[in-house]
Amino acid sequence: MIFLKFDRRIFQYFDWTLLALVLAICAIGILNIYSAGFSVSESHFPFYVKQIQWILLGLFFMITAFLIDYRVICQAAYLIYGISIALLIIVFFYGYTTHGSQRWISTGFFAFQPSELMKLALIIVLARYFDNHNSNEPYKLRELFIPFVIILIPCLLILRQPDLGTALIIMLLFASIIFFMGVNWKSVAIALVSSLVLLPLGWYFLKAYQKERLLTFLNPEHDPLGAGYHVIQSMIAIGSGGVFGKGFLNGSQTQLKFLPEQQTDFIFSVFAEEWGFIGALVLAIMFMSLILWGLKIALHSRDLLGTIIAFGITALISWEVFINVGMVLGVLPVVGIPLPFLSYGGSAMVCLMTAIGLLMNVSVRRFILQS
Amino acid sequence: MEKHFSLRNGPEPADFRQKLKIVIALLLIIFSVLLVRLWYLQVIKGEELRQRSENNSVRFRKIKPLRGLIMDRNGLVLVDNRPSFDVLYMPHKGKDHEAVIERLKNIYKSRSLELSYDQPFPKKVKPYLPVKLEKNVSMEKVAIVETNALALPGVYVDVSPVRLYLDGEMMAPVIGYTGEISKEELEKANDEHASGDVLGKNGVEKYLDAYIRGRRGAELVEVNVYDKEIKNLGRIDPIPGYNIVLTIDADLQKAAWQAFAGKPGAAVALDTRDGSVLAMVSSPSFDPNLFNSGISYELWDKMQNNPLNPLSNRAISGQYPPGSTYKLIIAAAALEEGIITPEQKIFCNGSFELGNRTYRCWRKKGHGYVDLHRAIVESCDVYFYTVGKMLGVDKIAQYAKLFGFGKATGIDLPHEKSGLIPTKEWKMARTKEIWQVGETVSISIGQGFNLVTPLQLANAYSAFANGGTLWRPHLIKRIELTDGSIYKEFLPEKKSEFALSKKTIDILGRALWGVVNEPGGTGSAARRLNSDVCGKTGTSQVVGLPESDKARREKKISAFQRDHALFVCFAPLKSPEIAIAVILENAGHGGSVAAPIARKILDAYFEGKKKLKPAQVVAHHQLPDKLQD
Repeated sequence: MIFLKFDRRIFQYFDWTLLALVLAICAIGILNIYSAGFSVSESHFPFYVKQIQWILLGLFFMITAFLIDYRVICQAAYLIYGISIALLIIVFFYGYTTHGSQRWISTGFFAFQPSELMKLALIIVLARYFDNHNSNEPYKLRELFIPFVIILIPCLLILRQPDLGTALIIMLLFASIIFFMGVNWKSVAIALVSSLVLLPLGWYFLKAYQKERLLTFLNPEHDPLGAGYHVIQSMIAIGSGGVFGKGFLNGSQTQLKFLPEQQTDFIFSVFAEEWGFIGALVLAIMFMSLILWGLKIALHSRDLLGTIIAFGITALISWEVFINVGMVLGVLPVVGIPLPFLSYGGSAMVCLMTAIGLLMNVSVRRFILQS
Repeated sequence: MEKHFSLRNGPEPADFRQKLKIVIALLLIIFSVLLVRLWYLQVIKGEELRQRSENNSVRFRKIKPLRGLIMDRNGLVLVDNRPSFDVLYMPHKGKDHEAVIERLKNIYKSRSLELSYDQPFPKKVKPYLPVKLEKNVSMEKVAIVETNALALPGVYVDVSPVRLYLDGEMMAPVIGYTGEISKEELEKANDEHASGDVLGKNGVEKYLDAYIRGRRGAELVEVNVYDKEIKNLGRIDPIPGYNIVLTIDADLQKAAWQAFAGKPGAAVALDTRDGSVLAMVSSPSFDPNLFNSGISYELWDKMQNNPLNPLSNRAISGQYPPGSTYKLIIAAAALEEGIITPEQKIFCNGSFELGNRTYRCWRKKGHGYVDLHRAIVESCDVYFYTVGKMLGVDKIAQYAKLFGFGKATGIDLPHEKSGLIPTKEWKMARTKEIWQVGETVSISIGQGFNLVTPLQLANAYSAFANGGTLWRPHLIKRIELTDGSIYKEFLPEKKSEFALSKKTIDILGRALWGVVNEPGGTGSAARRLNSDVCGKTGTSQVVGLPESDKARREKKISAFQRDHALFVCFAPLKSPEIAIAVILENAGHGGSVAAPIARKILDAYFEGKKKLKPAQVVAHHQLPDKLQD
């Protein structure tokens, strides 16, 4: 088995740039979570300590995902997908509820969010599918039916939780991959028209708070105490950071807890308040480098499978970064998507690290697979 | 296309590079939109927004809910709420912490008051986390702080509701107390709790905390530079907790509590008809109001290390040998098993020989020939040594368990103990030794390994009195919403039933009546005209004392080794209503010290009943009318 043979070249050609970038962003995240929890009297295990634990656990999974050849992993694509679906169904029946939505499986030691795993599973399963059904012609609607079903099942399960943000990310991910694979423009037009027809229907799926968030986005000042309050406070926090920021642990918006969910969804506001435009610019460049680096890996992959995996992972990270930052900057509605590597959250961190492992996997095997 | 193919030596989707260019272009567009927005917020509007954040005069404030009231069975409020004023200090407002505190001290001093914060001012303060300077201050101090706001930047007064325990000591072991959530509790809790929340820490307050505590509210207020509210921008009202109605009768409780006069012991009064707790006293007690705003370390230490353990509820967690009160169970077992007949007489010469050991009767000169009735009335030990030995330990245990001993009663309070009823098997498992007949002799008069709680005793006698129904004792009658409507009613619950023959009940009932009402009975101190009190005295040895009673008589033993005095009773003989167990620790003889306490509880019960009767009749007449509507 060439796939599992331990090859010293995987160290020789190891993608240190990628690792360094990710770890640097994680380090910023830890500092930031420390600051966000600084004035909150927390329990014995503050969030930043837990986040470090999650990163360490994530590194373990990253190494695992790196060492096993991605072609071997993709052999198990449908199995991974099936397990993820099963976990989502378990959540549906037995998951526990926080903030009005049922997203978690509690194992006793920690809670786990299967929708995070689902994102990764979908990238793998779509890569496998399109690799098997490769064509040089743009795909037609009929040909996209199966991948559409693959995406629809988890999407509906996640919408039912309800977790609008994750469902949206999955749909964007799907759209990105089929765009990348090439799609017949007539098909796109048909899909767009039919979804426009279905849109009012979707409105009924939304919970009251989600409708309110969308309405608030359309008119933020209409409810300055409710949903709009969060966005306004977030913009005040970011803006008041100015060019150089207020300094570490000195963001008054953060420390006075004006920011909602400041460890998770609004973590970027904490950072922008304390580190200013300069800090935010550095962070943005780091993210942009990570994204472009991911695209580079996609481009240089030896096979289509690797290309799609690398592109999918990059697309996932990009969408999450853009939507989260857009949300806290007040240019997108508040949909509750965490910022990759920065927001506090175990499941997301572990899954993202695994994704990075896969990315490294594709990156290094370019040098090894000389078919 | 061709070129790429050959270069990369693998298949490639259509327009791969072309697409990548589009992707990168899109990324750059989004990227620059976000950066422009960031620039706009941080650089163009930066100064303005910084102003807004500095003057961010909007405060998000949590509002503590009022805990539910706790009332006795007649709706008399036992636990209420009152406002408590705390003095806090917000570090980022004051530039020089020490100076501000010093100034506050001086202002206090000029009015001959003192700053009473117990912890020294923390060396490293978090700028945005308020420091509690003083808790629960007087109105005078509130006025001083408010009027000197200008001189005391960062110092402000915060109001929050705290518990007000009326007749606190009388109810404390039962109702418990409240306090701020501890770090350990916070660790365990998930979303619903935050630091600073008040929780029930013991007794009813803890057992029903989820119902009592209510839900936190919040408000957004606009404040001026001194943190004084100028405008309320929105508010979610806190939801007060549900009110609790206990089955306890405050009058009965008070009579029982006063009867103890601070001496260590416990008393439980149960309604024999449904197992509801009418009174439950544990003495000595503590003032639960002291815990409201955080108890000082010294005081807590003192309470914890007090050998009399005022924080525990002896009625459910105190375990004592039942002494002679256990003879009811031995007698019932012997009659039911046909080991004795009521008429059979046993000679008591004051001692019982077994092997080379001598077991004494409490009356040194003996009781002479005694039948079952006299043996119970005069509490003859030799009679029960003989009967108990014939029964054997396991038979005794079997009956003891029927009466509910050896197992927690399941009362609706935390920390109930289960007591101990020994069996041969138990001893083997525990000590790897064989059961000795001498030990059976000891447990026949309720000594030895036997351990019971006062609640179990009362419940056992209650079960005897009502003809064999062992109720699950309960002291929570119902949970009410704030408007008085019923949220949840707790109905009596039968734990088990046992059938004693009518004859057994009749014989033993009369014997227990004799204990109180016949000449020579040991419980005559509980006698009440027209109430037909039936009871049994008991004196339980704390430690195995030297066989010679000399030392005991001469009171040469330390206070903690003296006997516990017990008295258990029910009344009236025909159609019993109330069962009472009283224990006084290290107080000597049950008949002389415990029975009088039971008597006072009985007095309160029967006198109170006279007053209540008319009201109950009226209530019964009203019900059917309403149902017909």
